[in-house]
Amino acid sequence: MVRKQDSRALAPGDSARLLALLAPVLAGLKQLWTVLLYSSAYLSVVTVLEVGIAMVVLSLPPSPAPVVVGLLTFAVYANDRIADADDDELDKPDQTAFVRRHENALYVAAAVAYGLAVASAMLGGPAALALSLLPGTFWVLYASDWLPRLGAGLRRLKDVLLVNTAVVALAWAVSLTFLPLAFADRGVTPTVGVVFAYFFLRSFVDAELPNVRDRAGDAEAGVRTLPVVVGLERTRYVLYGVDAATAAVLAYGAAAGFLSVPVAVALGAGLAYSLGVTTLLTRYADRAWLTVAPELEYVVAAAALAVVALG
Amino acid sequence: MVSLVDALTAVLLVSVAVSFAAALLAWRERPEPGASAVILMLGGVVWWAAFLVFELQASTLARKILWSDVQWVGVVVIPVGWLLFALMYTGRDEYVRPRVVAVLSVVPVVTVVLAVTSNSHDLLYRSTTVVTYGDFVLLERAGGPWYWVVAAYTYALGALGFVPLFDLIRSNAVLFRGQSAALLFGSLTPWVTNILSVMGVLPLPEFDPTPIAFAVTGVAFLGAVTQYQLFDASPAPNWRARRLVFERMDDAAIVVDNHGYVVDANESAEPLLGRARRDAIGEPVASMLPTLGPLADDCRPEHVTVDVDGDDTPFDVSVTPVYDVRDRLIGRVVTFHDVSRYLRQKQRLEVLNRAFRHNVRTDTQMILGYAGQLSPDTDEEREAVGIVEQRAARIAALGEKARVIVDLIEREEGPRVPVSLPELLDGRVQRLRQSYPGVTVEVSAFPADCTVPASLGPVVWNVLENAAEHNTNDDPHVRVAVAAGEGRVEIRVTDDGPGVRDGEYAALERGTETPLRHASGLGLWLIQWGTDIAGGRVTFENNDPTGTVVTLDVPRLD
Repeated sequence: MVRKQDSRALAPGDSARLLALLAPVLAGLKQLWTVLLYSSAYLSVVTVLEVGIAMVVLSLPPSPAPVVVGLLTFAVYANDRIADADDDELDKPDQTAFVRRHENALYVAAAVAYGLAVASAMLGGPAALALSLLPGTFWVLYASDWLPRLGAGLRRLKDVLLVNTAVVALAWAVSLTFLPLAFADRGVTPTVGVVFAYFFLRSFVDAELPNVRDRAGDAEAGVRTLPVVVGLERTRYVLYGVDAATAAVLAYGAAAGFLSVPVAVALGAGLAYSLGVTTLLTRYADRAWLTVAPELEYVVAAAALAVVALG
Repeated sequence: MVSLVDALTAVLLVSVAVSFAAALLAWRERPEPGASAVILMLGGVVWWAAFLVFELQASTLARKILWSDVQWVGVVVIPVGWLLFALMYTGRDEYVRPRVVAVLSVVPVVTVVLAVTSNSHDLLYRSTTVVTYGDFVLLERAGGPWYWVVAAYTYALGALGFVPLFDLIRSNAVLFRGQSAALLFGSLTPWVTNILSVMGVLPLPEFDPTPIAFAVTGVAFLGAVTQYQLFDASPAPNWRARRLVFERMDDAAIVVDNHGYVVDANESAEPLLGRARRDAIGEPVASMLPTLGPLADDCRPEHVTVDVDGDDTPFDVSVTPVYDVRDRLIGRVVTFHDVSRYLRQKQRLEVLNRAFRHNVRTDTQMILGYAGQLSPDTDEEREAVGIVEQRAARIAALGEKARVIVDLIEREEGPRVPVSLPELLDGRVQRLRQSYPGVTVEVSAFPADCTVPASLGPVVWNVLENAAEHNTNDDPHVRVAVAAGEGRVEIRVTDDGPGVRDGEYAALERGTETPLRHASGLGLWLIQWGTDIAGGRVTFENNDPTGTVVTLDVPRLD
């Protein structure tokens, strides 16, 4: 009887058998996503897309710039996860547990990633090398305890309202825009200015949206973010303002001829997606989705750009 | 096919990646001793290698010269970082002061200034020409006078840094040996490469491959951090701790040079010297401690009396000669251990011992004498007299044991006298058989050429006597077995009596007694102390089914 049941369970074409076969694969994929999510490696993939967007918009030739920025992103954010493990415990207990369990391996991986990024950046010349050091320098000022240790009442930039988000936005806007430019040995043009402004404003929103989820932990740790200081509703209006500014920049770029209209529309598609995320900000009690959702803006923009390019 | 310039660029990039990663790992370890200096050193490596890459890749001569000059910042930072790391990591951080760092930085700063202004003088480079190997264009720069100054300075700092690390290689701690070996290997590689490059014995004499060799340094430092806990388990406290032991030890310690002058002393020595340490240094030790006598003399009185704050205080003095690396005597460390308390206790014990032995023995003999003269009429009176005689005999036996213990303790201070095992055992076994004819005493065969400490005699007798005296078995047996091993002898005495009460052992295990928890007499203490004095150890076990097994494990003296 048992044998019969077994043979039935293993009959070809049976959906249960398919599920049984897929189960380890699905479990492996889930584990991989957990590692990508908690270690911040998924952000590297997103940043590679961002540099790709910058290179397409600026019409730059292929270069190692996306890889360099991807490695830098992993190194900086992995470090940030480690440095903020205590502060994140309240809002992201699973991530904190993962980071604590693999802290050493994560730090070594981050250090090696930064080493590779710097070495690769040297292929772009001294300017690219200097730019590759910027995110690390900003991170030291932003999140590490280096500034407070100097004394004289200095605080981590992360703890200072708006400066924290502006620093993050500035660091990424500079890297995303100027690193591929340095590799291509091109000068600064008005289009570069538009792209820089676009990335600065988008990075500002991307940095502030996850703060909504981290509100309780940030408040406890004394980190003054917009959601902590002005509340969720007002944060939403501030972000609407930044989105409007982005739309204005894209419109100006297209009107002045610095961006082609299809490119402006493609970037606008990403912006529209981000606007949707901001609108839904206060709708759900569980805001875990805010960790990844803001970053998908670039996936939308990249997909739209691909459509434009293929069209 | 990969061109030479691309191949060199690739290995330089590896060096940059590895050194940068190692620097970041060191960053995390701040403020552990040496971490900041490692960051400085590896930062120099990255700088040097990075601008060498730019020099190789530059398309114009002016750019090549510019990047070549800029490399000096990294070149001169490395030896300073290396020396600071070696000093901090090995605990010699008293040398790492702003003033010292400033002095160390003079040559590097001058070098960088000369590099920046190299177009207007030939102090750093006498000439700059271009050498080509196919498409590969290299600068050939002939060093000027300052080039050799900075080269010599770099090697000097490098050598100085190796000295304290070599000390750790000889350390007993395997972990520190591993750390230092990794660091030394990693650091020697670029230094040796640089020396070979400067000597012009490497292929491509115009190209200095030292930054490439620093990849080995980076890997070694990465390994030292991740595998040998470079900054987690740091030997830095050792250097200070050794000094601290000297400074804070209870015993007075004075360091005297070969001519009898005091060159150092610890805090505890000040009362003996009668002055502050700084005033005593440089003065002849004989003028401050006249009772000490000649230090070279091997025959020293048992105790030296020194006037301390008006009191004559006895000290146990030990003199330890200090030799240099060539085994030449360069001084002595004289330590003074205050034995006044020990001598007072010894004196009290001697008085008590005399009173106990002499007075108790005399009085018990008198009690026994007078008890013998009594003529008890009734059974009750006879029983009372019997108890008096029995108790007096026990007091006498106690006194006798106390005498034996004192003898043993006095023997401890002298050399161990050897006695052959047959001499130790035969007479006592015979005495036991005579004293306890009802007890069967069996002795297994044992080696006749074996010698043990003579002080063991009273111990063996007490073990045998205990085994027989308290044996209430209907057919009492005492068995003696000897097992002689390499350097040790085991004497095992087994009886089939009622065994020893657990409380008796508990006092021995604690090493002390209280009014409530104590042994019933001195016998077990005599066995314990006597074996200890003979350099052995004793164990008590229960015999199966009844009785006790006493094992004396003592050293062989043959």
